[in-house]
Amino acid sequence: MLLLAPVNLLNDLLLKFFSAETIAFFVWPLIQIGLVVTLVALWVAYATYLERKISAFMQARLGPMRVGPWGLLQPIADGLKLLTKEDFIPENADRWIFFFAPYIAVASAFIVFSVIPFGPDWAVIADVNIGLLLVLGVSSVGVLALILAGWSSNSKYALLGGLRSSAQMVSYEVAMGLSLIGALMFARTLSLSGIVAAQGSDSIWFIVYQPAGFLLFLISGIAENNRAPFDLPEAESELVAGFHTEYSGMRWSLFFMAEYAAMVVVAAVAVTVYLGGWYFPFVYRLASGHHNLYVIVSLLVFLVKTSIILYIYFWLRWTLPRFRYDQLMDIGWKWLIPSALINIVLSAFAIFLVQALDGWRGFRTIELLDRGLNLTATGKGVMIAFGIAGLFITGALLARINWRSRNFNLKTQRRNIRLVNLPKGKPAVP
Amino acid sequence: MHQVEIATTQETLLDSPEMVLNMGPQHPSTHGVLRVILKLDGETVIDLDCDIGYLHRGMEKIAENRMYTMIAPYWDRLDYIAAVSNGLVWVETVEQMMGLPVPPRAHYLRTILTELNRIASHLLWLATHALDIGAITVLLWALREREEILKIFERQFGARLTCHAWRVGGMPNDAYDDFHKDVRQFVNNFPKRLDEYETVLSENRIWLSRTVGIGVISGPDAIAIGLSGPALRGSGVAWDVRKSRPYAAYADMDFDIPLGENGDTYDRYLVRLEEMRQSRRIIDQALEKLPDGPVNAKLPRIVKPPVGDYYHSIEGPKGEIGCYLVSDGTAQPWRVRVRPPSFINLQALRQMCVGHLVADVVAIIGTLDIVLGEIDR
Amino acid sequence: MPLVKTPKPTFAQKLKRFFMIDLIKGLGLTLKFNLGALTDKDSVAGKGIYTEQYPKVRPDVAPRFHGAPRLNMDPETHDTLCIACNLCAIACPEDCIDVIAMDVEIIVAGKPRRKKVLDEFIFDTSRCMFCALCQEACPTSCLELTQDFELATYSRAGFVWNREMLEQGRETVKYTS
Repeated sequence: MLLLAPVNLLNDLLLKFFSAETIAFFVWPLIQIGLVVTLVALWVAYATYLERKISAFMQARLGPMRVGPWGLLQPIADGLKLLTKEDFIPENADRWIFFFAPYIAVASAFIVFSVIPFGPDWAVIADVNIGLLLVLGVSSVGVLALILAGWSSNSKYALLGGLRSSAQMVSYEVAMGLSLIGALMFARTLSLSGIVAAQGSDSIWFIVYQPAGFLLFLISGIAENNRAPFDLPEAESELVAGFHTEYSGMRWSLFFMAEYAAMVVVAAVAVTVYLGGWYFPFVYRLASGHHNLYVIVSLLVFLVKTSIILYIYFWLRWTLPRFRYDQLMDIGWKWLIPSALINIVLSAFAIFLVQALDGWRGFRTIELLDRGLNLTATGKGVMIAFGIAGLFITGALLARINWRSRNFNLKTQRRNIRLVNLPKGKPAVP
Repeated sequence: MHQVEIATTQETLLDSPEMVLNMGPQHPSTHGVLRVILKLDGETVIDLDCDIGYLHRGMEKIAENRMYTMIAPYWDRLDYIAAVSNGLVWVETVEQMMGLPVPPRAHYLRTILTELNRIASHLLWLATHALDIGAITVLLWALREREEILKIFERQFGARLTCHAWRVGGMPNDAYDDFHKDVRQFVNNFPKRLDEYETVLSENRIWLSRTVGIGVISGPDAIAIGLSGPALRGSGVAWDVRKSRPYAAYADMDFDIPLGENGDTYDRYLVRLEEMRQSRRIIDQALEKLPDGPVNAKLPRIVKPPVGDYYHSIEGPKGEIGCYLVSDGTAQPWRVRVRPPSFINLQALRQMCVGHLVADVVAIIGTLDIVLGEIDR
Repeated sequence: MPLVKTPKPTFAQKLKRFFMIDLIKGLGLTLKFNLGALTDKDSVAGKGIYTEQYPKVRPDVAPRFHGAPRLNMDPETHDTLCIACNLCAIACPEDCIDVIAMDVEIIVAGKPRRKKVLDEFIFDTSRCMFCALCQEACPTSCLELTQDFELATYSRAGFVWNREMLEQGRETVKYTS
């Protein structure tokens, strides 16, 4: 266990000063928090670098290349530049709110990482049994930061931009929360580690049972983060220049970090709830002999999965055009929320059906199970069938709900452009 | 700078439901220094006014004090994105007024290079229009194609953007050595690239929802305002100066005019894409049929058109660009007046925008394809 | 928003709309570009990277490029080719050029003659539009626009070039990294 040698040394050193409970309760969590914050801060910084590189490759260009080999030191250069900028607060701005708003945004984005399971045992800081509720609640506090930033800037357009962004975020939070309930009914626990364990116990990721739920969560998560194609409030700097107009230097970079950290949060929660978190089928075989290695490999698995979802974020941003604000709110309220509700109803019905058909490996009712569902093959088949059927039923119901506005919606069409060959006039030059 | 009056019914922002908003001259989406003053009700545009003149450089007055052959470099700076066609209108006006015969090889080379210029201008239009609506990748891809055309211009004329391409009587230099190879390579690669842009945009539901039904102008209204170019053809009016009054070698070329149906932004987008395809077809034909011979005509020592006036227009990428020249028999013109297509197209902005949302104003300005150099001269 | 007439969608079109095929096609193309940027070498016809890393890589400037002006000299005698005819100054639309000539005495066939030679040549590149009318006007191919495009200076006076600068050219810093 060479990996653990420094850790054991540290443990012994600490035991000289503190009692074992203090170390377990206080010191190790502090070290975990330090590691997680460092990891997330580095991840956010290099996410900006990766976004620039990936967007550059998609556009047939190179991206940052000058600072360090392949531009790898670019985020550090950016950070240094932002630190050295002049720090000013607009004239009649509300000083203390202007000062605190970025910190609220960053804090709410980072606090969420305390409950996200990066790995099995010690790779989660606090495995609270209401983890998912905490995630949703704390990320809602980020909306407050937006409104405060817009208000305190003493600028008509910053205020309007902030209000628009926050209205958008609040609408999509409803859809986000509702879309998770489908998966929750399967996992039957709000604790994020429990959700991962539920997926592990069946060796099947919840995306297989809940494709609609995953799509809904991802789309509403992207809209929640004000990312393309839903980024009209912040990117369309035509008139309403967004809530962070008056911020510059490090304050602005805190908002920027908060946005990317929120992206990582949504990606991490999507991975945890739908893609199996740190669980990967064959990694468990490592658990028997080398437990800590298992944890570290699981951590890497989690990072890879989250990076894939982050790639989807970048991919969508750099390919798709933007929705207009009214279309955006239309999608949130009239398409995503009904889909989420339909998803809940269908999932409940699926569970009832499995209970009626099959039981869960001998248990006749779900209450007797500890967590998750222990499904037999039939049960799995039923769930998967419901997942796929759910997509079509949702589509049909959405078409019915939105029937009145169908002419305003897009129809796939290849408009006919007539090609005419006009009769030729007199040449101007004879 | 004059004060623009838009009457509001009440005094303060909070009382009135209407808000006057200024999309000022410095703005990423107004394609130059255009100031648009919007009167909004919430997010709907009720009224709109444009304030122009931020790029006025006095080109027509400068032209009154220069000799005819010296004016051509200034004309490049009008529609600076498509400089070759501006130069062409000036040079052809003078030639026709003087009755100079231009050799056919010059006509064909002018056709090829002006069509390349049209493709370059439409590519920049596509790039900025897609950028305003949010598809940023198309910007970079279209600029890559435009770069290929600008390389051809650099090798042929010596400059990429403000080319000073033509001289009265023809061209200063014949086609450079690799001209055929370069243009042929471009023509072969181009349809695939256009298909790539169409894959990302034409059927994309987000693009459709941002452009279908936005900025509609009907055919009769377009004619009444005096629109020209793709803005007119998108509304279904079949008018193209290359067909009605052919100039250069267009009388010998076989090509079609794309016409739209509904006069909305999506139709204009499809019309311009199809125009790029037709331009490619023209270049292909002209390259095949390129005759040999000299490329410039013999000029008198000082270029002096006879006394009188003359109007000549060509189909530029943005519309019908014309030049009205009044000569008094001396070596310097008496009066030059440019018919700028963007200036006249901009008159339609108010009618197109009223009733739409603010985010659509940006899309509509993009679809009109204006260049402030031309509007302000 | 005015309604536009659109044809009724067929079943295939409805399925395509349901599965978001239009969005996926666009996404697929971007993914191909992303992978192509890493693997494809052809940037003109293919999906390779199009960037030219200037100033590490010097750009390919065309021979006809309208760049910085230069006064050419006779390769053997190293005398200037300029005959002080003033045609370039007359041709310039912007009045950038100032040709200052002087008379010198030379002996031709035993008799003293006055010949006009170039004394000083002032070219204001800040007013220049690089239209190349002066290059075309020069009868001896003395005034030529070269391929040098890096003309930045630290002061306005640095834009006004005299005969020596025009003949010898300017030192440009070439960055190699």
